[in-house]
Amino acid sequence: MKKFLLAASAAAMAVSMPALAKPGNGNGNGNGGGGGGNKGGGHAAHVAKPQKAERQSFKAPKAERQSFKAAKAERVQFGGGRVEKAQKRQQVRFADRPAKAERKSIARRIKAENKRIERVRENRFEDRRVNRWDDDDRIRTATFRNFNANGDCPPGLAKKNNGCLPPGQVGKTYNVGERLSSEWYQNYNVPLAYRSFYADTPDYYYRYDDNGYIYRVSRDTNLVNGLVPLLGGGFGIGQVLPAGYDIYNVPLQYRDTYYDTDDYYYRYGDNAIYQVDPQSMMIENVVALLTGDTLGIGQTLPAGYDMYNVPWEYRDQYYDTDEYNYRYADGNIYQVDPQTQIIQAIISALV
Amino acid sequence: MSRMRHSVIALAASALLVGGCQREGDSGNQAAAPAGNQTAAKGKAGQQSIGQTLGQSGDHSSLVGAVKAAGLEATLSGSQPYTLFAPTNAAFQKVPNGQALLQPDQKAQLTSILTYHIVPGVVTAEDLGRAIQAKGKAEIATMGGVNLTATREGDAIVVTDAKGGKARVTQADQLQSNGVIHSVDTVLMPS
Repeated sequence: MKKFLLAASAAAMAVSMPALAKPGNGNGNGNGGGGGGNKGGGHAAHVAKPQKAERQSFKAPKAERQSFKAAKAERVQFGGGRVEKAQKRQQVRFADRPAKAERKSIARRIKAENKRIERVRENRFEDRRVNRWDDDDRIRTATFRNFNANGDCPPGLAKKNNGCLPPGQVGKTYNVGERLSSEWYQNYNVPLAYRSFYADTPDYYYRYDDNGYIYRVSRDTNLVNGLVPLLGGGFGIGQVLPAGYDIYNVPLQYRDTYYDTDDYYYRYGDNAIYQVDPQSMMIENVVALLTGDTLGIGQTLPAGYDMYNVPWEYRDQYYDTDEYNYRYADGNIYQVDPQTQIIQAIISALV
Repeated sequence: MSRMRHSVIALAASALLVGGCQREGDSGNQAAAPAGNQTAAKGKAGQQSIGQTLGQSGDHSSLVGAVKAAGLEATLSGSQPYTLFAPTNAAFQKVPNGQALLQPDQKAQLTSILTYHIVPGVVTAEDLGRAIQAKGKAEIATMGGVNLTATREGDAIVVTDAKGGKARVTQADQLQSNGVIHSVDTVLMPS
């Protein structure tokens, strides 16, 4: 229903656009520089900016695709002639190719819906970001105003430091495209083990969420640009794996042991192998921890492998000598040169 | 269940691997460098897993609670080989606000601390001692991503964390089917 209303709203805007464009320029002449002087429709400020208006009119087809966005449509009206012409072209195209037009219409509706929500999220009411997980506007309004007088959340919602979140969204505080609240900007808080991978850069900074996620945030906009789930609160037993884990991804050396069945799926993420329920994708167990070290032949063994650590089953076969050392990590036994610590061979030896 | 699979991942490794196997029969280089670690071969492993043994240990109930809270029971009861530096109940009592770590909202930190006590593979006290003897200290990779440092103080093995905290191994070499437990008297902190 909501999408239908959105579509209707978007369609209404689209239909009204040519009318809005008329005061600016009713001649429909969209090319050349002549249009610039006629634009503005009495708005002195816009008359004073013919070049901008011309740019807008040049971009009219794109503006039309984003016609749901009222503010933009309002700006576009001052480039009206070109918009109107573009609108007509679009209408002709739609008439010729109704199937494609319908597809575009659907795409526009979806885009319009996303954009509309994005506008809400990007305005000063930042806590409204949680609303997009609900379908009912009224419920959203109830949810993003957070806690009651006792500081608790309404039934069915989980209390987080940024408000009350619907079930299933407790794992991470922010999604991609959302803006971090100001208190997050201050301190770099990525866990030590991950700092070499997620160090702040001139373009991005990284912040850690105690729920088990690292956020990559654009410095320009303070919007979350990427998510990195870590082992911990967000990846705990009883929680649903984040999106993106539909495909079996267990490292090769573990596949003989951990393979998908009707009863269990196994997924690898953040240096651990998780046993998950196939239906709900809920994590049932952490069945293996991995170091995550990427070791290959010719590479130097990283620090931390000073001592012999080969599993029981292989100690009779692989033991240190003057010529070779053997070290275990993540299901493999590595043959290492004792002097240079360079890995010479990899023996898959899962036990 | 113990499974054994041998496969050479890289073609380039094949020749080296064969060479390594041949060397066992040869044993010429063993005389030049006595390899003490082959004495700690299979047969020493216990019948129970690390997780099972911990569950029956009266001195590690706090650790068991923490492992459960972090969801790592299956990890320590599975077939993968690990070495666990297991803080005793007395060690947990020394942690300020230790109970708070068991709260659900502290799971990330708790997991970070626990994985700091888990080491890939099987490292016996003898293995540690040999590495310490060779370099004066031994750096130990952990599943938490931050290394520990092992040294010897007198007869005892001492493990130092990233914050400089020291844990003494109070009971070493509790051999299990999937690894080994070394009890320590202090909880190690990664940062």
